[in-house]
Amino acid sequence: MPRRTDPKDRPTGLFSYFDADPERADLDVFGRIAHPDRRGFFRGAGLATMGAMLGAAIPFHRNMPAGFIPVALAQADVLEGKDGLVLLADRPVNAETPAHLLDDPITPTNRHFIRNNGVVPDDLDPAGWQLTVDGLVDNPMVLSIADLRDRFEVVSMALTLECGGNGRAFFDPPASGNQWTYGAVGCAEWTGVRLKDVLEAAGVKDGVVYTAHEGADMHLSGDPDKSPISRGMPIGKALTDDVLIAFEMNGAALHPMNGAPLRLVVPGWPGSCSQKWLTRIWLRDVVHDGEKMTGTSYRVPNRPVAPGEDVAEEDYVIIERMPVKSLITNPATETDLTGESAEVRGHAWSGDRTIERVDVSIDFGATWQTAELDPPVNEGAWQNWRTTVSFPTAGYYEVWARATDSAGEGQPFAVAWNPKGYLNNAMHRIALRVG
Amino acid sequence: MPRSLRLLVLALLGTAPSAMAQADEPYGALVDRPGAEDTFIYCTACHSGMLVAQQGLSRERWDKLMVWMVEEQGMQEIPEPDRTTVLDYLSTHYGPDRPNFPRPK
Repeated sequence: MPRRTDPKDRPTGLFSYFDADPERADLDVFGRIAHPDRRGFFRGAGLATMGAMLGAAIPFHRNMPAGFIPVALAQADVLEGKDGLVLLADRPVNAETPAHLLDDPITPTNRHFIRNNGVVPDDLDPAGWQLTVDGLVDNPMVLSIADLRDRFEVVSMALTLECGGNGRAFFDPPASGNQWTYGAVGCAEWTGVRLKDVLEAAGVKDGVVYTAHEGADMHLSGDPDKSPISRGMPIGKALTDDVLIAFEMNGAALHPMNGAPLRLVVPGWPGSCSQKWLTRIWLRDVVHDGEKMTGTSYRVPNRPVAPGEDVAEEDYVIIERMPVKSLITNPATETDLTGESAEVRGHAWSGDRTIERVDVSIDFGATWQTAELDPPVNEGAWQNWRTTVSFPTAGYYEVWARATDSAGEGQPFAVAWNPKGYLNNAMHRIALRVG
Repeated sequence: MPRSLRLLVLALLGTAPSAMAQADEPYGALVDRPGAEDTFIYCTACHSGMLVAQQGLSRERWDKLMVWMVEEQGMQEIPEPDRTTVLDYLSTHYGPDRPNFPRPK
Protein backbone atom coordinates (compact mmCIF):
# COMPACT_ATOMS: atom_id res chain seq x y z
CA MET A 1 0.00 0.00 0.00
CA PRO A 2 1.52 3.38 -0.94
CA ARG A 3 2.18 5.64 1.96
CA ARG A 4 1.00 8.67 0.09
CA THR A 5 -0.65 9.32 -3.22
CA ASP A 6 -0.28 12.74 -4.71
CA PRO A 7 1.66 15.15 -2.52
CA LYS A 8 0.83 18.18 -4.61
CA ASP A 9 -0.94 20.94 -2.67
CA ARG A 10 -0.12 19.17 0.56
CA PRO A 11 2.12 20.47 3.31
CA THR A 12 5.34 18.91 2.03
CA GLY A 13 7.11 19.44 5.34
CA LEU A 14 4.72 17.03 6.95
CA PHE A 15 5.41 14.37 4.37
CA SER A 16 9.16 14.80 4.70
CA TYR A 17 8.69 14.60 8.45
CA PHE A 18 6.83 11.31 8.07
CA ASP A 19 9.47 10.13 5.60
CA ALA A 20 12.29 10.79 8.03
CA ASP A 21 10.82 8.87 10.97
CA PRO A 22 7.34 7.46 10.38
CA GLU A 23 6.84 6.02 13.84
CA ARG A 24 7.94 9.16 15.61
CA ALA A 25 5.71 11.23 13.32
CA ASP A 26 2.79 8.89 14.03
CA LEU A 27 3.21 9.45 17.72
CA ASP A 28 3.57 13.22 17.42
CA VAL A 29 0.72 13.80 14.99
CA PHE A 30 -1.87 11.23 15.95
CA GLY A 31 -0.62 9.93 19.28
CA ARG A 32 -0.43 6.67 17.36
CA ILE A 33 1.57 3.57 18.24
CA ALA A 34 1.39 0.72 15.72
CA HIS A 35 1.30 -2.98 16.59
CA PRO A 36 4.64 -4.81 16.50
CA ASP A 37 3.89 -5.79 12.89
CA ARG A 38 3.90 -2.06 12.04
CA ARG A 39 0.23 -2.03 11.27
CA GLY A 40 -2.88 -0.91 13.11
CA PHE A 41 -3.15 0.98 16.38
CA PHE A 42 -1.63 -0.70 19.42
CA ARG A 43 -4.27 -0.65 22.18
CA GLY A 44 -6.12 1.89 20.04
CA ALA A 45 -3.47 4.56 20.61
CA GLY A 46 -4.18 7.40 18.17
CA LEU A 47 -7.11 5.69 16.48
CA ALA A 48 -9.70 8.03 17.95
CA THR A 49 -7.62 11.07 17.03
CA MET A 50 -7.22 9.93 13.46
CA GLY A 51 -10.89 8.94 13.30
CA ALA A 52 -11.91 12.33 14.65
CA MET A 53 -9.75 14.07 12.07
CA LEU A 54 -11.26 11.96 9.34
CA GLY A 55 -14.77 12.39 10.69
CA ALA A 56 -15.51 8.68 10.51
CA ALA A 57 -14.55 5.37 11.98
CA ILE A 58 -11.85 3.41 10.16
CA PRO A 59 -13.24 -0.12 9.69
CA PHE A 60 -9.95 -1.62 8.44
CA HIS A 61 -7.75 0.25 10.86
CA ARG A 62 -5.97 -2.96 11.86
CA ASN A 63 -4.44 -3.02 8.37
CA MET A 64 -3.27 0.57 8.29
CA PRO A 65 0.53 0.72 7.97
CA ALA A 66 2.61 2.69 10.44
CA GLY A 67 3.50 6.17 9.26
CA PHE A 68 0.49 6.28 6.96
CA ILE A 69 -1.10 9.65 6.19
CA PRO A 70 -4.75 9.15 5.18
CA VAL A 71 -5.38 10.64 1.77
CA ALA A 72 -8.60 12.17 3.02
CA LEU A 73 -6.85 14.22 5.64
CA ALA A 74 -6.46 17.28 3.46
CA GLN A 75 -10.09 17.15 2.47
CA ALA A 76 -11.75 15.52 5.48
CA ASP A 77 -15.39 16.60 5.53
CA VAL A 78 -16.83 16.51 9.01
CA LEU A 79 -20.18 17.58 7.56
CA GLU A 80 -20.58 14.67 5.18
CA GLY A 81 -24.26 13.86 4.78
CA LYS A 82 -25.25 17.37 5.83
CA ASP A 83 -26.35 20.15 3.51
CA GLY A 84 -25.81 23.85 4.08
CA LEU A 85 -24.93 23.67 7.77
CA VAL A 86 -22.60 26.30 9.23
CA LEU A 87 -19.61 24.75 10.96
CA LEU A 88 -18.95 26.43 14.30
CA ALA A 89 -16.12 24.13 15.34
CA ASP A 90 -14.53 21.03 13.89
CA ARG A 91 -13.13 19.40 17.03
CA PRO A 92 -15.55 18.75 18.62
CA VAL A 93 -17.88 19.06 15.64
CA ASN A 94 -20.59 21.64 16.13
CA ALA A 95 -22.71 22.89 13.25
CA GLU A 96 -26.00 24.74 12.95
CA THR A 97 -28.57 25.15 10.19
CA PRO A 98 -29.41 28.54 8.70
CA ALA A 99 -33.05 29.34 9.53
CA HIS A 100 -34.25 29.29 5.92
CA LEU A 101 -32.89 25.74 5.50
CA LEU A 102 -35.13 24.59 8.37
CA ASP A 103 -38.23 25.28 6.28
CA ASP A 104 -39.41 21.64 6.05
CA PRO A 105 -42.27 20.70 8.40
CA ILE A 106 -40.16 17.73 9.52
CA THR A 107 -36.41 18.34 9.54
CA PRO A 108 -34.54 16.13 7.06
CA THR A 109 -31.45 14.44 8.44
CA ASN A 110 -29.14 16.49 6.23
CA ARG A 111 -30.51 19.67 7.82
CA HIS A 112 -30.39 18.59 11.46
CA PHE A 113 -27.83 20.44 13.59
CA ILE A 114 -24.85 18.75 15.25
CA ARG A 115 -23.78 19.41 18.81
CA ASN A 116 -20.90 17.21 19.95
CA ASN A 117 -19.04 17.43 23.24
CA GLY A 118 -16.33 14.88 22.58
CA VAL A 119 -14.84 12.66 19.93
CA VAL A 120 -17.29 10.54 17.92
CA PRO A 121 -16.86 6.86 18.79
CA ASP A 122 -14.76 4.76 16.57
CA ASP A 123 -17.15 1.85 16.16
CA LEU A 124 -20.76 2.70 15.29
CA ASP A 125 -21.79 -0.79 14.21
CA PRO A 126 -25.41 -1.36 15.30
CA ALA A 127 -24.99 -5.16 15.27
CA GLY A 128 -22.72 -5.27 18.29
CA TRP A 129 -24.19 -2.31 20.14
CA GLN A 130 -25.28 -2.88 23.73
CA LEU A 131 -27.38 -0.78 26.05
CA THR A 132 -27.09 -1.42 29.77
CA VAL A 133 -30.03 -0.47 31.99
CA ASP A 134 -29.11 -0.70 35.65
CA GLY A 135 -28.76 1.20 38.88
CA LEU A 136 -31.87 1.17 41.07
CA VAL A 137 -33.88 -1.30 39.00
CA ASP A 138 -35.28 -4.72 39.90
CA ASN A 139 -33.90 -6.42 36.76
CA PRO A 140 -30.73 -4.94 35.34
CA MET A 141 -30.62 -5.55 31.60
CA VAL A 142 -28.16 -5.55 28.73
CA LEU A 143 -30.02 -5.09 25.47
CA SER A 144 -28.98 -5.16 21.84
CA ILE A 145 -30.77 -2.97 19.34
CA ALA A 146 -32.49 -6.13 18.07
CA ASP A 147 -33.65 -6.82 21.65
CA LEU A 148 -35.12 -3.34 21.87
CA ARG A 149 -37.03 -3.87 18.61
CA ASP A 150 -38.24 -7.33 19.64
CA ARG A 151 -39.21 -6.73 23.23
CA PHE A 152 -40.83 -3.29 23.08
CA GLU A 153 -43.33 -1.45 20.96
CA VAL A 154 -41.53 0.44 18.18
CA VAL A 155 -42.92 3.93 17.67
CA SER A 156 -42.15 6.84 15.32
CA MET A 157 -42.59 10.42 16.49
CA ALA A 158 -41.59 13.86 15.27
CA LEU A 159 -39.68 15.33 18.21
CA THR A 160 -38.13 18.74 18.71
CA LEU A 161 -34.54 18.90 19.87
CA GLU A 162 -32.93 22.22 20.68
CA CYS A 163 -29.51 22.90 22.12
CA GLY A 164 -29.72 24.71 25.47
CA GLY A 165 -27.29 27.29 24.08
CA ASN A 166 -29.20 28.06 20.87
CA GLY A 167 -29.12 31.87 20.47
CA ARG A 168 -25.99 32.33 22.58
CA ALA A 169 -24.37 34.46 19.85
CA PHE A 170 -26.65 37.35 20.77
CA PHE A 171 -25.59 37.63 24.42
CA ASP A 172 -23.90 40.87 25.46
CA PRO A 173 -21.53 40.58 27.18
CA PRO A 174 -20.75 37.40 25.28
CA ALA A 175 -21.13 34.03 26.99
CA SER A 176 -18.56 31.31 26.45
CA GLY A 177 -19.35 28.25 24.38
CA ASN A 178 -20.38 27.64 20.81
CA GLN A 179 -21.91 30.80 19.42
CA TRP A 180 -25.14 29.38 18.07
CA THR A 181 -27.43 31.84 16.30
CA TYR A 182 -30.83 30.33 15.46
CA GLY A 183 -30.21 26.95 13.96
CA ALA A 184 -29.39 24.57 16.82
CA VAL A 185 -32.92 23.20 16.61
CA GLY A 186 -34.69 20.59 14.56
CA CYS A 187 -37.72 18.34 14.52
CA ALA A 188 -36.90 15.06 12.81
CA GLU A 189 -39.00 11.90 12.85
CA TRP A 190 -37.38 9.52 15.30
CA THR A 191 -38.11 5.80 15.50
CA GLY A 192 -37.35 3.79 18.58
CA VAL A 193 -38.86 2.46 21.77
CA ARG A 194 -40.24 4.43 24.68
CA LEU A 195 -37.76 4.88 27.50
CA LYS A 196 -40.73 4.44 29.80
CA ASP A 197 -41.43 0.93 28.51
CA VAL A 198 -37.80 -0.11 28.98
CA LEU A 199 -37.58 1.35 32.49
CA GLU A 200 -40.84 -0.32 33.48
CA ALA A 201 -39.54 -3.66 32.20
CA ALA A 202 -36.43 -3.14 34.28
CA GLY A 203 -38.58 -2.23 37.29
CA VAL A 204 -38.05 1.22 38.77
CA LYS A 205 -37.26 0.88 42.47
CA ASP A 206 -38.72 3.14 45.13
CA GLY A 207 -36.65 6.21 45.80
CA VAL A 208 -35.40 6.76 42.25
CA VAL A 209 -35.24 10.48 41.49
CA TYR A 210 -33.02 10.78 38.43
CA THR A 211 -31.76 9.00 35.33
CA ALA A 212 -28.08 8.99 34.38
CA HIS A 213 -26.97 8.58 30.76
CA GLU A 214 -23.69 7.42 29.31
CA GLY A 215 -22.47 7.40 25.71
CA ALA A 216 -19.55 5.93 23.82
CA ASP A 217 -18.00 9.24 22.78
CA MET A 218 -14.54 10.07 24.11
CA HIS A 219 -13.33 13.10 26.05
CA LEU A 220 -11.39 15.62 23.93
CA SER A 221 -8.33 15.21 26.12
CA GLY A 222 -8.21 11.55 25.09
CA ASP A 223 -8.37 10.47 28.74
CA PRO A 224 -10.39 7.22 28.67
CA ASP A 225 -11.43 7.74 32.29
CA LYS A 226 -13.08 11.07 31.53
CA SER A 227 -16.55 11.34 30.05
CA PRO A 228 -17.26 14.20 27.64
CA ILE A 229 -20.86 14.40 28.82
CA SER A 230 -23.17 12.35 31.04
CA ARG A 231 -26.47 13.98 31.84
CA GLY A 232 -29.82 12.80 33.12
CA MET A 233 -33.37 13.89 33.88
CA PRO A 234 -35.91 13.61 36.69
CA ILE A 235 -37.56 10.17 36.67
CA GLY A 236 -40.96 11.83 36.13
CA LYS A 237 -39.84 13.17 32.76
CA ALA A 238 -38.23 9.85 31.85
CA LEU A 239 -41.55 8.06 32.38
CA THR A 240 -43.54 10.25 29.99
CA ASP A 241 -44.73 8.81 26.68
CA ASP A 242 -42.62 10.93 24.33
CA VAL A 243 -39.08 10.12 25.44
CA LEU A 244 -37.54 7.65 23.00
CA ILE A 245 -34.52 5.41 22.77
CA ALA A 246 -34.10 5.95 19.03
CA PHE A 247 -32.38 3.86 16.39
CA GLU A 248 -33.78 5.53 13.27
CA MET A 249 -33.97 9.11 12.08
CA ASN A 250 -36.41 9.95 9.29
CA GLY A 251 -36.81 6.29 8.45
CA ALA A 252 -33.11 5.54 8.02
CA ALA A 253 -30.14 4.82 10.24
CA LEU A 254 -29.09 7.63 12.57
CA HIS A 255 -26.48 9.99 11.12
CA PRO A 256 -23.10 9.31 12.79
CA MET A 257 -22.94 12.88 14.08
CA ASN A 258 -26.49 12.62 15.42
CA GLY A 259 -25.70 9.66 17.65
CA ALA A 260 -25.65 6.49 15.53
CA PRO A 261 -26.56 3.78 16.17
CA LEU A 262 -28.55 4.54 19.35
CA ARG A 263 -29.50 7.66 21.24
CA LEU A 264 -32.03 9.17 23.59
CA VAL A 265 -34.48 11.75 22.29
CA VAL A 266 -35.93 13.92 25.05
CA PRO A 267 -38.08 16.50 23.29
CA GLY A 268 -38.45 20.01 24.65
CA TRP A 269 -35.55 19.75 27.07
CA PRO A 270 -31.96 20.84 26.41
CA GLY A 271 -30.48 18.62 23.71
CA SER A 272 -27.79 17.48 26.13
CA CYS A 273 -30.40 15.33 27.92
CA SER A 274 -30.66 13.29 24.72
CA GLN A 275 -27.44 11.29 25.12
CA LYS A 276 -25.93 10.24 21.80
CA TRP A 277 -24.09 6.97 21.12
CA LEU A 278 -26.08 5.68 24.10
CA THR A 279 -24.55 2.78 26.03
CA ARG A 280 -26.03 2.98 29.51
CA ILE A 281 -28.97 4.34 31.46
CA TRP A 282 -28.84 3.94 35.19
CA LEU A 283 -31.31 5.06 37.80
CA ARG A 284 -30.22 6.97 40.88
CA ASP A 285 -31.69 8.13 44.18
CA VAL A 286 -29.89 11.45 43.87
CA VAL A 287 -29.71 14.07 41.14
CA HIS A 288 -27.13 12.73 38.69
CA ASP A 289 -23.70 14.33 39.07
CA GLY A 290 -22.10 13.26 35.77
CA GLU A 291 -20.04 15.45 33.45
CA LYS A 292 -21.92 18.68 32.60
CA MET A 293 -24.61 18.05 35.23
CA THR A 294 -22.72 20.02 37.90
CA GLY A 295 -21.10 23.44 38.26
CA THR A 296 -22.71 25.90 35.88
CA SER A 297 -23.19 23.57 32.89
CA TYR A 298 -26.74 23.60 31.53
CA ARG A 299 -27.73 25.75 34.50
CA VAL A 300 -29.12 29.24 34.87
CA PRO A 301 -29.33 31.60 37.87
CA ASN A 302 -32.32 31.06 40.15
CA ARG A 303 -33.40 34.67 39.55
CA PRO A 304 -33.20 37.26 36.78
CA VAL A 305 -29.72 38.82 36.71
CA ALA A 306 -28.20 41.91 35.10
CA PRO A 307 -26.09 41.45 31.97
CA GLY A 308 -22.53 40.70 33.07
CA GLU A 309 -23.49 40.01 36.70
CA ASP A 310 -21.42 37.50 38.66
CA VAL A 311 -23.58 34.73 40.07
CA ALA A 312 -22.47 32.41 42.87
CA GLU A 313 -22.36 28.78 41.79
CA GLU A 314 -24.83 27.70 44.48
CA ASP A 315 -27.41 30.04 42.95
CA TYR A 316 -27.55 28.09 39.69
CA VAL A 317 -30.38 25.66 38.91
CA ILE A 318 -30.55 22.87 36.34
CA ILE A 319 -32.40 23.76 33.15
CA GLU A 320 -35.44 21.56 32.57
CA ARG A 321 -37.95 22.45 29.84
CA MET A 322 -36.90 24.80 27.03
CA PRO A 323 -38.86 28.05 26.72
CA VAL A 324 -41.46 29.10 24.13
CA LYS A 325 -39.86 30.03 20.83
CA SER A 326 -40.51 30.44 17.12
CA LEU A 327 -38.46 30.58 13.96
CA ILE A 328 -39.17 32.25 10.62
CA THR A 329 -38.00 29.84 7.92
CA ASN A 330 -39.43 31.66 4.89
CA PRO A 331 -38.49 34.11 3.47
CA ALA A 332 -34.77 33.97 4.21
CA THR A 333 -33.48 37.05 5.95
CA GLU A 334 -31.95 39.69 3.65
CA THR A 335 -34.23 38.68 0.78
CA ASP A 336 -35.11 41.24 -1.90
CA LEU A 337 -38.79 40.83 -2.68
CA THR A 338 -40.84 42.12 -5.53
CA GLY A 339 -44.61 42.36 -5.20
CA GLU A 340 -46.93 43.53 -2.50
CA SER A 341 -47.17 40.47 -0.33
CA ALA A 342 -45.28 37.40 0.82
CA GLU A 343 -45.98 34.19 2.65
CA VAL A 344 -44.19 34.13 5.98
CA ARG A 345 -43.91 30.75 7.62
CA GLY A 346 -41.99 28.82 10.22
CA HIS A 347 -42.24 26.70 13.34
CA ALA A 348 -42.97 27.27 17.02
CA TRP A 349 -42.40 25.14 20.08
CA SER A 350 -42.38 25.21 23.89
CA GLY A 351 -40.98 22.42 26.04
CA ASP A 352 -43.69 20.19 27.57
CA ARG A 353 -46.36 22.58 26.30
CA THR A 354 -48.15 23.39 23.06
CA ILE A 355 -48.25 26.64 21.12
CA GLU A 356 -51.55 28.51 21.27
CA ARG A 357 -50.78 31.37 18.92
CA VAL A 358 -48.16 32.86 16.65
CA ASP A 359 -48.29 36.57 15.81
CA VAL A 360 -46.32 38.32 13.10
CA SER A 361 -45.41 41.99 12.74
CA ILE A 362 -43.93 43.87 9.78
CA ASP A 363 -43.77 47.28 11.51
CA PHE A 364 -41.29 46.77 14.36
CA GLY A 365 -43.95 45.40 16.66
CA ALA A 366 -46.46 48.24 16.39
CA THR A 367 -49.19 45.99 14.97
CA TRP A 368 -49.53 42.22 14.77
CA GLN A 369 -51.45 39.70 12.73
CA THR A 370 -52.18 36.18 13.90
CA ALA A 371 -50.76 33.36 11.78
CA GLU A 372 -52.50 30.13 10.80
CA LEU A 373 -51.15 27.50 13.21
CA ASP A 374 -51.14 23.72 12.83
CA PRO A 375 -51.49 21.42 15.84
CA PRO A 376 -48.39 19.34 16.61
CA VAL A 377 -48.30 16.06 14.66
CA ASN A 378 -47.71 14.42 18.04
CA GLU A 379 -46.71 15.48 21.53
CA GLY A 380 -43.17 16.82 21.52
CA ALA A 381 -43.25 18.02 17.90
CA TRP A 382 -42.94 21.63 16.87
CA GLN A 383 -45.92 23.33 15.23
CA ASN A 384 -45.90 24.79 11.75
CA TRP A 385 -47.43 28.18 11.04
CA ARG A 386 -47.90 30.52 8.09
CA THR A 387 -49.43 33.84 7.19
CA THR A 388 -49.42 36.22 4.24
CA VAL A 389 -48.19 39.73 4.94
CA SER A 390 -48.86 42.75 2.71
CA PHE A 391 -46.42 45.59 2.30
CA PRO A 392 -47.98 49.04 1.87
CA THR A 393 -45.01 50.55 -0.02
CA ALA A 394 -41.56 49.60 -1.24
CA GLY A 395 -38.83 49.78 1.40
CA TYR A 396 -37.06 48.00 4.24
CA TYR A 397 -39.12 45.80 6.50
CA GLU A 398 -38.44 43.58 9.45
CA VAL A 399 -40.68 40.61 10.00
CA TRP A 400 -40.92 39.56 13.62
CA ALA A 401 -42.58 36.42 14.94
CA ARG A 402 -43.82 35.87 18.49
CA ALA A 403 -45.22 32.60 19.80
CA THR A 404 -47.43 32.25 22.87
CA ASP A 405 -47.73 28.87 24.57
CA SER A 406 -50.45 26.96 26.41
CA ALA A 407 -49.36 28.49 29.73
CA GLY A 408 -49.82 31.98 28.31
CA GLU A 409 -46.09 32.68 28.09
CA GLY A 410 -44.85 34.58 25.05
CA GLN A 411 -41.44 35.36 23.65
CA PRO A 412 -39.57 38.42 24.91
CA PHE A 413 -38.15 41.10 22.63
CA ALA A 414 -34.76 41.22 24.38
CA VAL A 415 -32.37 38.53 25.58
CA ALA A 416 -32.88 37.45 29.20
CA TRP A 417 -29.14 37.42 29.88
CA ASN A 418 -27.54 34.69 31.97
CA PRO A 419 -23.83 33.96 32.44
CA LYS A 420 -23.63 30.76 30.38
CA GLY A 421 -25.72 31.93 27.46
CA TYR A 422 -28.67 29.55 27.69
CA LEU A 423 -32.38 29.73 26.82
CA ASN A 424 -32.38 32.69 24.47
CA ASN A 425 -35.94 32.73 23.20
CA ALA A 426 -36.05 36.32 22.01
CA MET A 427 -38.25 36.88 18.96
CA HIS A 428 -36.75 35.99 15.61
CA ARG A 429 -36.48 39.00 13.29
CA ILE A 430 -35.72 38.87 9.59
CA ALA A 431 -34.89 41.70 7.18
CA LEU A 432 -36.70 42.12 3.85
CA ARG A 433 -36.25 44.69 1.11
CA VAL A 434 -39.41 45.16 -0.91
CA GLY A 435 -38.92 46.69 -4.36
CA MET B 1 10.57 18.14 17.44
CA PRO B 2 11.65 21.44 15.84
CA ARG B 3 9.27 24.29 16.61
CA SER B 4 8.42 24.98 12.97
CA LEU B 5 7.60 21.36 12.36
CA ARG B 6 5.59 21.12 15.54
CA LEU B 7 3.59 24.07 14.31
CA LEU B 8 2.99 22.45 10.99
CA VAL B 9 1.82 19.29 12.66
CA LEU B 10 -0.45 21.22 14.99
CA ALA B 11 -1.74 23.28 12.10
CA LEU B 12 -2.77 20.06 10.45
CA LEU B 13 -4.45 18.88 13.61
CA GLY B 14 -6.22 22.06 14.47
CA THR B 15 -7.52 23.72 11.35
CA ALA B 16 -10.20 23.18 8.78
CA PRO B 17 -8.93 21.94 5.42
CA SER B 18 -9.75 25.20 3.67
CA ALA B 19 -7.87 27.23 6.26
CA MET B 20 -5.02 24.75 6.19
CA ALA B 21 -4.35 25.41 2.53
CA GLN B 22 -3.88 29.10 3.11
CA ALA B 23 -0.30 29.88 3.98
CA ASP B 24 -1.28 33.33 5.22
CA GLU B 25 -3.37 31.80 8.02
CA PRO B 26 -0.81 29.71 9.83
CA TYR B 27 -2.96 29.46 12.95
CA GLY B 28 -6.25 28.60 11.25
CA ALA B 29 -9.13 30.48 12.83
CA LEU B 30 -6.82 32.36 15.21
CA VAL B 31 -5.52 35.73 14.02
CA ASP B 32 -1.78 35.88 13.35
CA ARG B 33 -0.64 38.31 16.04
CA PRO B 34 1.99 38.01 18.76
CA GLY B 35 1.08 35.14 21.05
CA ALA B 36 -0.85 33.22 18.40
CA GLU B 37 1.70 30.43 18.21
CA ASP B 38 1.62 29.62 21.92
CA THR B 39 -2.16 29.96 22.01
CA PHE B 40 -2.50 27.66 19.04
CA ILE B 41 -0.20 25.03 20.48
CA TYR B 42 -1.84 24.88 23.89
CA CYS B 43 -5.49 25.24 22.90
CA THR B 44 -5.66 23.14 19.77
CA ALA B 45 -3.98 20.18 21.42
CA CYS B 46 -7.49 19.21 22.55
CA HIS B 47 -10.01 21.27 20.62
CA SER B 48 -10.49 23.29 17.48
CA GLY B 49 -9.14 26.82 17.23
CA MET B 50 -12.57 27.64 15.81
CA LEU B 51 -13.99 27.16 19.28
CA VAL B 52 -11.54 29.72 20.68
CA ALA B 53 -12.13 32.24 17.91
CA GLN B 54 -15.90 32.32 18.54
CA GLN B 55 -15.48 33.67 22.06
CA GLY B 56 -15.47 37.26 23.28
CA LEU B 57 -14.40 37.24 26.91
CA SER B 58 -12.79 39.63 29.35
CA ARG B 59 -9.29 38.89 30.63
CA GLU B 60 -10.74 37.77 33.94
CA ARG B 61 -13.11 35.34 32.24
CA TRP B 62 -10.41 33.96 29.98
CA ASP B 63 -8.32 33.40 33.09
CA LYS B 64 -11.18 31.54 34.77
CA LEU B 65 -11.76 29.50 31.64
CA MET B 66 -8.12 28.40 31.63
CA VAL B 67 -8.39 27.41 35.30
CA TRP B 68 -11.52 25.40 34.42
CA MET B 69 -9.63 23.72 31.56
CA VAL B 70 -7.03 22.50 34.05
CA GLU B 71 -9.36 21.64 36.93
CA GLU B 72 -12.19 20.05 34.97
CA GLN B 73 -11.05 19.25 31.46
CA GLY B 74 -7.71 17.55 31.86
CA MET B 75 -5.48 20.31 30.45
CA GLN B 76 -1.92 20.41 31.72
CA GLU B 77 -1.10 23.59 33.64
CA ILE B 78 0.53 26.02 31.18
CA PRO B 79 3.93 27.14 32.54
CA GLU B 80 4.89 30.80 32.70
CA PRO B 81 5.69 32.88 30.78
CA ASP B 82 3.55 31.04 28.22
CA ARG B 83 0.37 31.30 30.26
CA THR B 84 0.59 35.09 30.38
CA THR B 85 1.38 35.18 26.67
CA VAL B 86 -1.75 33.15 25.92
CA LEU B 87 -3.90 35.23 28.26
CA ASP B 88 -2.61 38.46 26.71
CA TYR B 89 -3.33 37.18 23.24
CA LEU B 90 -6.85 35.93 24.04
CA SER B 91 -7.98 38.99 25.94
CA THR B 92 -6.54 41.34 23.31
CA HIS B 93 -7.91 39.65 20.21
CA TYR B 94 -10.94 37.80 21.59
CA GLY B 95 -12.31 40.30 24.09
CA PRO B 96 -15.94 41.30 24.72
CA ASP B 97 -15.94 43.77 21.82
CA ARG B 98 -15.24 40.81 19.51
CA PRO B 99 -12.77 42.39 17.08
CA ASN B 100 -12.22 39.02 15.38
CA PHE B 101 -15.61 37.33 15.66
CA PRO B 102 -15.54 34.86 12.76
CA ARG B 103 -19.12 35.29 11.61
CA PRO B 104 -21.53 38.20 11.37
CA LYS B 105 -24.31 38.18 13.96
